[in-house]
Formats: sequence, structure tokens, C-alpha cells
Amino acid sequence: MKLIRYQTSPLFSPSANYPTLRDEMDRLFDVAFPALSSLQRGGLFGDWQGEFPVDLYQSKDAFKLRAELPGFRKEDISLEVADGVLTITGHQNAETKSNGTDKESAIATQERRVSRAISLPENLDLDKIQAGYENGVLTVTLPKREEVKPKQIAIEVK
Amino acid sequence: MNLLTKKNHATTETAPRRAIAPRYEVEETVDAFVITAHVPGVDRKALETHVDGENLTVFARRADAPEDWTPVYRESAVADYRLVLELDHRVNRDAVRAELNQGVLTLTLPKAEAVKPRRIEIKG
Repeated sequence: MKLIRYQTSPLFSPSANYPTLRDEMDRLFDVAFPALSSLQRGGLFGDWQGEFPVDLYQSKDAFKLRAELPGFRKEDISLEVADGVLTITGHQNAETKSNGTDKESAIATQERRVSRAISLPENLDLDKIQAGYENGVLTVTLPKREEVKPKQIAIEVK
Repeated sequence: MNLLTKKNHATTETAPRRAIAPRYEVEETVDAFVITAHVPGVDRKALETHVDGENLTVFARRADAPEDWTPVYRESAVADYRLVLELDHRVNRDAVRAELNQGVLTLTLPKAEAVKPRRIEIKG
């Protein structure tokens, strides 16, 4: 299994993996010269392979993770939680899409495999994780455990 | 190849929100040019594609996160998608087709009859 750390943040990076200076330099170059970086990774579409952007939102009683994974089928995406790490994998086999009888007008799609491991906050109810896939966006709802939800305690002032 | 020149991809004049160019790829088949663009988070109703003279414009409004969700960490851009491509004489403008499937927009631009390969019979 391939684990790719896309970007580090206090919340997302597994605690053992602090970014090295080299990672930081790579990141800096990616930000400063995106075209160059994508070329280096293997052409214009090279970085479609392997990496995809992930956003994290929070509400009162859940975290919501949003991953942009365009062009997959629902059944091609798998999610796995183990040891506080959520692994999202998308795997698409190579296929030929033909939109007519003419073989030469067919568009072939290459095999595609993307994967990311995201370390989760600790206070989640792992049994109630839900996921949906719509318009090429994967949404994972990670409910917080009961005890970490803010509770209002009324204190009477006498 | 200067068939489909990217003219501009980030104007704020017409769109209230920042627009970015989606990742796209152009492939050529015998009878058409096929553009594949990645527009994750765009619903079919939020997508506009039109051909205006020389230009093919794709504008796609990305769905916002619900208001009660506070962003904690973001990697994706807070922006809509906008792609303007200049078409040349080889494209049959009247027959452009668009298809959106799980965030992947496929635009089929059939070639004009005049540029399709043809067999010429030798007479006599």
C-alpha cells in the first residue's frame, strides 16, 4: 500500500511524521512554481495520479471530510479506518469508452490508482462514520463522541 | 498545435467569485476533438457551456459547504471553474456535445466536414 502525505497540518499529519526540510522545500517549490512541479511529476496530468485535495470541516457534533476524486464510480472507492488513520483509495481499471461504432473514435482511459492516508482526531465515534460520493466529491462524516460535544450546564445564580 | 488556445481563465468581471481553470486535456480522434475537464463538486445544473463566435466557454459553479460547517483545513480552492477556449475552423460549432459524469466534463467537438479525411476515387 502506498501512503502519500500530501500536505502537513497539525490535524492531518500522523504525529510521528514531522516534515523534513526536504519536504518543506518540495512544498515551497510546488507553491511557487506549480507548472514546473507538475511537469516533474510526469506531465500535465501526472499529478492526477496519487494525490487529491482533501478539506476538513467541523460542526457542533461532527467532522466532515471532503475529498475531490473526479471520475470514479462509487464502487471503485474504498475507505478503511485502522489505528486512527483513515485510508481513502480509488482504483479504476483501464477501459475503452466507445461512443460509436467507429473503433478509432473511442477514448481509452488508463488505469488509475490514488490513495491517501489521513490521521483522524481522537474523539470520534468510529462506528458511525458515513460516506457519500456525488459529483466527483467524496464526503465522509465523522461524528464526534458524545462526551466531547459541548454541553450546556445551567448554573443558577442566587 | 494552436487549435484550442487557452485565452484566459481567471476573470472576475462577470463572476462574483474567483474562478480558476479546471484541469483539462484535449484528445483528437478521427472525427472529433475531445476535451476532458475535471470539475469536482459541480452539479449538472450549475454548469454552463456555450459557444460564442470563436470562443467555447465553460462556467461551472461549485457547491459551497453548508454554512454551519467551519473549515478546519483546506486544500481545494474556494473558487468556481471557468475555461475559455478558442476554436478554430476545424470545429463544427453547431454540434458540440457536453457530458458531465462524477465531476468529469467531457466536451465532444466534432470536426467540420471539410477537414474530415476523405477518400478520393480515381475515375477513368
